[in-house]
Amino acid sequence: MQADHANLIYLATQRAISQPLATRGREWAHVTQLLFFNITNGLIIGAFYVLMALGLSLILNLSNVINFAHGGFLVIGGYIAYTITPYLGFWGALLIAPPLTAVIGLIVERVLIRPLYGRDPLYSLLLTFGLAFIIEDGTRFLWGAQGKPVTIPAVLAQPLSSEFFFVTGYRLFMVVMVVVAVVLLFLLLRYTRLGIRIRAGTLDLETVAALGINVRMLRSLNFAVGIFLAGLSGVLAAGQLGLEPTMGTGLLMPSFIAIIVGGVGSLTGTLLGGLLIGVASGVTAVFLPAASEAIMYVIMALVLLLRPRGLLGEEGMLT
Amino acid sequence: MMLTFKFDRRSVLKGAAAAGVLPMASPFIIDAHGESPVRIGMVDPLTGVYSAPAGNEVTGAKLAVEQMNAKGGILGRQVELLIEDSANDVGTGVQKARKLIERDQVNFIIGDVNSGIAQAIAQVTNEKKVLHIVSGGHTDTITGSDCKWNVYRVCNTTRMEANSVSDLLFNKYGKKWHFITPDYAFGHTLQQACLSNLKKLGGTMTGNELTPLGTTDFSAYLIKARAANPDVLILLVQGSDMINCLKQIVQFGIDKQIHVAGTQQELESLEGLPPEARIGIWMFEWYWRQPGVPSVDKFVADIRKVNGGKVPTARHWFGYTSAMTFALVANQEKSIDSLKLAKALGNFELPDDVKLQPNKCYYRAGDHQLMTSAFVGSAQSNGKDDPEDLFKVDQVVAGDRTAPPVADTGCKLTMPT
Repeated sequence: MQADHANLIYLATQRAISQPLATRGREWAHVTQLLFFNITNGLIIGAFYVLMALGLSLILNLSNVINFAHGGFLVIGGYIAYTITPYLGFWGALLIAPPLTAVIGLIVERVLIRPLYGRDPLYSLLLTFGLAFIIEDGTRFLWGAQGKPVTIPAVLAQPLSSEFFFVTGYRLFMVVMVVVAVVLLFLLLRYTRLGIRIRAGTLDLETVAALGINVRMLRSLNFAVGIFLAGLSGVLAAGQLGLEPTMGTGLLMPSFIAIIVGGVGSLTGTLLGGLLIGVASGVTAVFLPAASEAIMYVIMALVLLLRPRGLLGEEGMLT
Repeated sequence: MMLTFKFDRRSVLKGAAAAGVLPMASPFIIDAHGESPVRIGMVDPLTGVYSAPAGNEVTGAKLAVEQMNAKGGILGRQVELLIEDSANDVGTGVQKARKLIERDQVNFIIGDVNSGIAQAIAQVTNEKKVLHIVSGGHTDTITGSDCKWNVYRVCNTTRMEANSVSDLLFNKYGKKWHFITPDYAFGHTLQQACLSNLKKLGGTMTGNELTPLGTTDFSAYLIKARAANPDVLILLVQGSDMINCLKQIVQFGIDKQIHVAGTQQELESLEGLPPEARIGIWMFEWYWRQPGVPSVDKFVADIRKVNGGKVPTARHWFGYTSAMTFALVANQEKSIDSLKLAKALGNFELPDDVKLQPNKCYYRAGDHQLMTSAFVGSAQSNGKDDPEDLFKVDQVVAGDRTAPPVADTGCKLTMPT
């Protein structure tokens, strides 16, 4: 094929008149394969958005904090992993970096965010917006502006087959980690006392407080769980992307979009939203690569216009 | 639970006021000694995806200012370097350039790494008649169709970069090329230059993936590129995009099926990659290991002292050479008048201790482009006797061999009277 694959559909249609059936069939098979590859690839990317978006969503649902610093915590997780990898290896870093990031998150929540709970959400939005810059500059100060290499175990650094070259051991491992994290999170929320309180608090925090539950502690723990997921995302991202202070910025917006599309207040919606924008972005890349990022915003705009509460969101969550 | 957003008028006004005040904050100023110093303003994206190369350009310029002050400065006056962050944003870059010229009264301007910002700043410096050296923005038009009497450039043009490696890539790797191109001025002109060379050589393009600046996941583009089955995958992305793209290419095993190469490669990117992803034929705009070339070892030692023991990259040399050029030409002409110096810089040749390369290195009078060498070679996964020796230079091609004739650049300079 000499033509740009962005024009594949156009070319295939044009040639349909003049080419024999077998050639036409091959071209359509080629497009179908490309489409299938990109849907699968979109699901993998979407799974990663889900991991980040779930942490954001948890914090937003219970505490009304739109955490713009979430990408910053992701970067912190990545840099902690980079720092401890030489001593404990990738697996050790994967085990230790997320809880360490959660501890940092807990301190930030206690010192900076807690005093703003009673105020307009605009205050915490501005605070976390500023915090994102502080974290970016802080990591630049500590680790330098230059990208850092994080080496992943050789066993994961290979594609599973030459045809499905984009499904590497590492990407598959990432998806497994996301599935495990999502299942554990849903089990935590459904079957543990903490989870039931978080869910209750999401619906009516005042009543939960009136029942004698320590709401401060509940918010802190919830924030820590959210930041734990950001830290985990950071370690996983550092293995695949270049680790540098601005890494979180590019990953934050798709996560916000996943929440808005899925619906604020619904973790299942967030899960669905993340996968949906991942696949939409992948499919768009086949036909109109330049719009593969814009499509996420188009979906968000459509959802906001046609169903403002999101796909599975609850009425009135964003009024 | 109800989320109530109250973005009332006061909140918006407060936010707008805060955002407005931020760019007006004072710049970082490097020591000034004595009265009435000569001031050099530098605008570079110290935050954002180009913060690493920008930081290195600043370190190079600082070293130059220290060295020129130790030798008596410019016309016996000490030199101050005022550094501003363009934040990789055109509007901010223009605002910072205006502030440096109007409020801080700088005599000269250096910047920017980002081609789009460099071009926008050039409009400002031209309007204000301030001598300006573009340290690291590569797009052709700066010394091409948009050239200006007051603007010179140290780094290569995209056309020079493409010319330095096209023949080699074609002969060694094959005639079907697929491009991964950053979707802004630099990427567009670089891709056009490569494509033009490819066509002249008789090759074909299987596709061109335009990727937004700051792309983290290249998998969708790589799926398309591999499906097109080219001989060579040409990466024109830079900075963190280069790191992300190369890392994913190697993890997908694409480098085992298709040759992976490109034009401009930087030490900052190679150092950010794991060893297995340091692959391909590229050109460096300057390299720190040049056995037998005068003054290079001293420059490397000087930068190591101020750079945490790390060697200089091409970006250090850009910043150093840009700042040094002002001192050299001003002391030669015994003037800091921008017009006089702009005229004097035409065909001005850099001395050994600034050019730091084997070939003749001079600012071409016809388009104000520095005729600087291209260091063509291949990436090394590990340095043999120095961990930062990550590039093996095969040939150093002189700038006037890679640059097109002035007549082909589209530059028509008119000096004010």
